[in-house]
Amino acid sequence: MTNNRRQFISRLAAMLAAAGLPPAVLADDDDHESASSSGTTATSTAALPSTGLSGRVVVVGGGMAGASVAKFLRLWGGAGVQVTLVERAPRYTSNILSNLVLTDTVAMTSLAFDYGRLASTYGVKVVQGEAVGADPIARRLTVATASGLQVLDYDRLVVAPGIDFAWPAGLETPEARSLAPHAWQAGPQTLLLRDQIRAIPAGGTFVMTIPPTPYRCPPGPYERACVVADWLKRNRPGARVVVLDANAGITAERENFTRAFEVTHAGVITYVPNAPVTSVDTATRTVHTAMGPFRGDALNVIPTNVGPRLLADIGVGNAARGFAGVDVLSYESTAMGGIHVIGDASATTQPKAGHIGNQEGKVCADAILRLLGGNLPDPSPVTNSSCYSPITLSTASWLTAVFAYDPATGTMKTVPGASGEALAASKDHYEDMFVWFRTLMRDTFA
Amino acid sequence: MKRTIVITLAALGAAAASAQQTGTPPHPGRLLASNCFQCHGTDGRGDGTFERLAGKSASEIYGELREMKAENKRGEIMTIHALGYTDAQLRSIADYFSKQKR
Repeated sequence: MTNNRRQFISRLAAMLAAAGLPPAVLADDDDHESASSSGTTATSTAALPSTGLSGRVVVVGGGMAGASVAKFLRLWGGAGVQVTLVERAPRYTSNILSNLVLTDTVAMTSLAFDYGRLASTYGVKVVQGEAVGADPIARRLTVATASGLQVLDYDRLVVAPGIDFAWPAGLETPEARSLAPHAWQAGPQTLLLRDQIRAIPAGGTFVMTIPPTPYRCPPGPYERACVVADWLKRNRPGARVVVLDANAGITAERENFTRAFEVTHAGVITYVPNAPVTSVDTATRTVHTAMGPFRGDALNVIPTNVGPRLLADIGVGNAARGFAGVDVLSYESTAMGGIHVIGDASATTQPKAGHIGNQEGKVCADAILRLLGGNLPDPSPVTNSSCYSPITLSTASWLTAVFAYDPATGTMKTVPGASGEALAASKDHYEDMFVWFRTLMRDTFA
Repeated sequence: MKRTIVITLAALGAAAASAQQTGTPPHPGRLLASNCFQCHGTDGRGDGTFERLAGKSASEIYGELREMKAENKRGEIMTIHALGYTDAQLRSIADYFSKQKR
């Protein structure tokens, strides 16, 4: 921790020097509702409740979990709870539905969500910048923005930085990585992979890899294999998809994906379990695995998912692979008081995915508001994970699970009988998928 | 033992916020009901969502959820959700939505 903190602070100094930023630290303006030098002006128009609660919460990361916690802290906590959302990018690009960008079914622009509604409707102060220093004892976060450093004082810090990757041998450089894009953080990566899939000739091969669990969006890689297979069938006759899974078998929605691989896309998809990647040779477009080498015309390597470095920097990356151990009643770090970790960055028994990330944001918001009021978190939270997955370019299936707090183990456990998947992929589920997506995104960003 | 932990946590929370037991208690079903917002809209409101829940009668919502649970049809996404909650939790969720503006 001390060592990490030292590196974090020395990187901060290096960044400042490189950016030619002034050494003077800008203090956060005390008036929360006023415009900051670099943040979006926060003018509250929603009728926020009068709760008598007050406090300052800083949220780092504006994905599904981070945007949700910011919204619900204000919606439920009222104007006295000041919420600042720190995010590097001006907008979020949804990972959900991004596999359908690969097939030109969904436009990239329809996956972009900005933070304007969080600011204008809920009075969330949005600061575009990167967390570069933290003092968990003084409860202070330093953020590098385009106009210099800002220091944000907080009573509670929520971090929701998502995932990072452990790169396999052969993918050490950006050049190599661009020849085997992961497209597991939607955005430019998605378009890069789409273009490489388009370049596959008739009779060619698409080779993709699935990382060991836990990874972001358990059904996502299988879904990708399915929709790319369907696109290839229609556009590149004779082309095939090779799925190299580091796991011993399909990790999510097993019945539907087994049927998809063995029936719907039979002869197109080859599924190889127990095939963790050992190295990638981009010169020969070959993925080397425990099950042998596989050559493709386009490669999609989704590396092992790890906790982003920010977690270690602030002393909360205490679980396997650098993810954050949390108390699931509040999502407060088990390593550091006052810091909460939600979404894919936290290590819980729940899947790493957007729908449940939204719910973790709500549980965390509710807990923080209770703590600010001198009370304890709800002792029996319930969460749910739901997801629609396209199986072809006109059909989809779904899976869902309800999790309840188990006091004996201190974990979220699936409620008996309350998990399952669609009986079959259908056109109706495909239509429902878009209703789900629109509503989920509105519940998160608007 | 448990009592000691509770007191310590409460004291810490109070110290951090320099506030004690403030705030109007939220509706007891609010956090449970928020599990429904992802598909039924925030507070059960919104256009183009699955069934709108805001302002429906509590007995109607509870009745539907209870029926889904009793029938336990395979392959129904709402049946799986209904099975995830106790009857008391379903009542609380239904009451929360009944009190939201249409």
